[in-house]
Amino acid sequence: MSKTIEISPVTRIEGHLAIKVEVENGKVAKAYIAGEMFRGFEKILRGRDPLDAQHITQRICGVCPVEHGMASIQAQEMAYQLTPAPNGVLARNLLQAANFMMSHITHFYLLSSPDFVDVAMIADYTGSDPALVALRNWVKAQLSSNSVVPGGPFLPRYAAEYLKDADANFTMLRHYLEALEMRALAHRMGAIFAGKLPHAATLVPGGITEKVTALKLSEFRSGLDTLRDFIDQSYLPDVVAVAKAFPDYFTVGKGCGNFMSYGVFPVSAGSATKLFPAGILLDGKLQPVNVEAITEDVGSSRYSSGSGLGPYAGETVAAPDKAGAYSWLKAPRYNGQVMEVGPLARLIVGSQEGQNAALTSAVDALLKDLGRQPGDLNSVLGRHAARALECKFIIDQCAQWLDQAVPDEATFTDFSIPESGRGYGLTEAARGALGHWIDISDFKIRNYQCVVPTTWNCSPRDDRGVPGTIEQSLVGLPIADAQNPIEAVRVVRSFDPCLACAVH
Amino acid sequence: MNTLNRRSFLELSTKLCAVMGLAASAIPRLAEAAEELASGNAPVLWLQGQSCSGCSISLLDAEAISPVQLITRYINLSFHQTLSTTTGQQAVETVNKIISAGGYILIVEGAVPAGMPKACTFGGEAFGEQLIRAAQKAKAVIAVGSCAAFGGIPGAENNPTGAVSVPQYLKDQHISTPTILTPGCPCHPDWLLGTVTYLLKLGMPPLDELGRPKAFYSRLVHDQCPRFADYERERFARTFGDEGCLFKLGCLGPITHTDCSVRPWNSGVNSCIRAGAPCIGCGGEQFAARAGMAFITKKRAAEKQG
Repeated sequence: MSKTIEISPVTRIEGHLAIKVEVENGKVAKAYIAGEMFRGFEKILRGRDPLDAQHITQRICGVCPVEHGMASIQAQEMAYQLTPAPNGVLARNLLQAANFMMSHITHFYLLSSPDFVDVAMIADYTGSDPALVALRNWVKAQLSSNSVVPGGPFLPRYAAEYLKDADANFTMLRHYLEALEMRALAHRMGAIFAGKLPHAATLVPGGITEKVTALKLSEFRSGLDTLRDFIDQSYLPDVVAVAKAFPDYFTVGKGCGNFMSYGVFPVSAGSATKLFPAGILLDGKLQPVNVEAITEDVGSSRYSSGSGLGPYAGETVAAPDKAGAYSWLKAPRYNGQVMEVGPLARLIVGSQEGQNAALTSAVDALLKDLGRQPGDLNSVLGRHAARALECKFIIDQCAQWLDQAVPDEATFTDFSIPESGRGYGLTEAARGALGHWIDISDFKIRNYQCVVPTTWNCSPRDDRGVPGTIEQSLVGLPIADAQNPIEAVRVVRSFDPCLACAVH
Repeated sequence: MNTLNRRSFLELSTKLCAVMGLAASAIPRLAEAAEELASGNAPVLWLQGQSCSGCSISLLDAEAISPVQLITRYINLSFHQTLSTTTGQQAVETVNKIISAGGYILIVEGAVPAGMPKACTFGGEAFGEQLIRAAQKAKAVIAVGSCAAFGGIPGAENNPTGAVSVPQYLKDQHISTPTILTPGCPCHPDWLLGTVTYLLKLGMPPLDELGRPKAFYSRLVHDQCPRFADYERERFARTFGDEGCLFKLGCLGPITHTDCSVRPWNSGVNSCIRAGAPCIGCGGEQFAARAGMAFITKKRAAEKQG
């Protein structure tokens, strides 16, 4: 007997997301995932000055603006045949790295941990940590108040099994409070080179408008030390604690099994070697990324424009009432194949033989620590672990960039905008592979297309009817209680969906 | 049932006064406000329309009042799509319960797709419909960020969804709930915190003709600019990274009303102009409005062409 469960909206992700699952015999048989908000950035960009693009496209998303800005200026640098100043590249790396850490910490603690932590247990806290005492007193007062939503925004919640161990809950809650400070610290570090965050002011083709000074480098380094402590002593152990308490989540949430990374973070300015290398893992075989293989279907998407187009030829014509369409996302495909992108994809692609040996040994060590097999990484917990592990690598790399940067040397190389030209910028956002394509004519943007991480992960069915990777990852998932389908949201949130990005 | 002592309230209120630029004489009144708020009497409902969540993310960067303090000591954040634990049907029911109880402050982030209602939905309901229901029962509405306040990028020229600002939409729907605008892309956390807390205790803050709190939006960026002396001496930056006034790179500081020049971002670490980036007028009424109005660059591109 089949039953349909709709979870709309899915909260604690960025943006407007709805999922619908058909459950048969207690397990998901079919899943549909829908983006529910459209703005039309690609149409709004047409006819604008090309240099507006990095400002406009950053506003696609308040969580990953820096990465959109980076994709945009790299697309322009290709179109302008421009090599950015080395110091500018290093400052941009630091800025992007800071945003990655802000995003990962926000995702695990603010967005995901409430699915695992028993927040109500704080009422039983008898310890003396001032922050937890204050939280306990607040929760108790809220629960006995006449507030319409007592304990909001932390309550209400699904009735489900949460962490049972009291101390583990208190530790995670304490770290939730610290995570708020740590994510703001990461943003402060980014703002040293961004001017402000979210929405970096300083990103320009050719480098960055901000200077690199000894003081700025020191300020960044100081923040890095604090973040390193948090990652090592809180974030990684907390992920391990959740993994040990919920081992079943190593066996659910398995995606399509194909992984893609465009590669990100050159280990030094001008270096072709990336901290997280590029590559496609298709049917278990590693291959280089071929940009020409990227297309977007719109058969299940609310657009009347052409389907199966490459980004340079891409179009975005809204058709909100299109028959058979159920999402505002397009369905990107690589050689017609579904791909998973994100920290797990970066880790799996990057740890293949011949890529980054340090990543390979870190993955081995993590699996050993957790007592798991490599295949278990393709799971809810594998994605959380990949995100935390990635932070550690980023911090160590930041320290190297700080050493490489030369105070007071130029951060910007001048350029002129050609009458016509085109280029693409491929980078990685916290959530995965991000590409922008710009086509300039008469000094203006003729066409602009973005193919965004969550567009890959939250993709609806393509023109052949093949579901996207999250849709696939939900199939087979046991759902114990249709009124409280926490299993489904745990799976979906493990991908860290960003819907403002995905639809744009 | 408050859990704080008088002294903590005074400390928080002192911070608040600093944020708002208020005289110290306001501190006792604000302390009283904090006490009142801690009793759970200040529900806040936060809805997102066509937004990027950047204003929410910016608020989480707040220092004057930390996010934890805000949630546990100042307001009852009854629903926020990015932070609330509740999800799915339970979230829809929670929001509906809040709306039927009424009397909350409604904070709206994002524009309204007036010309294409399906371009933004919440639990299957068009955002515009939800906004009408929520605004009618609110004590006051705060349109946070430039999308909600002025339409922003979703409402820019050539936009396909007929997106409009929150005050425009409410006016068209004949809803007269008092509405305050705190534009900015994103909104500076102080602008929102200062406005919310003022509203809760002291009532409507003094507003300008567009509905913006005067405390934050009455001066031009240019007038308090750290590079103002360069402007006076006609020392102009010719390209990015140069010293001097950024006016000739297209800086919109001379037409943008925000206090960024004296209220830097991310706990005071930096600001756009300080970092060599011309102001793009992200808090201004015309931000990104017209395709032909480049931010930085039209002059540069034109110079290069010539």
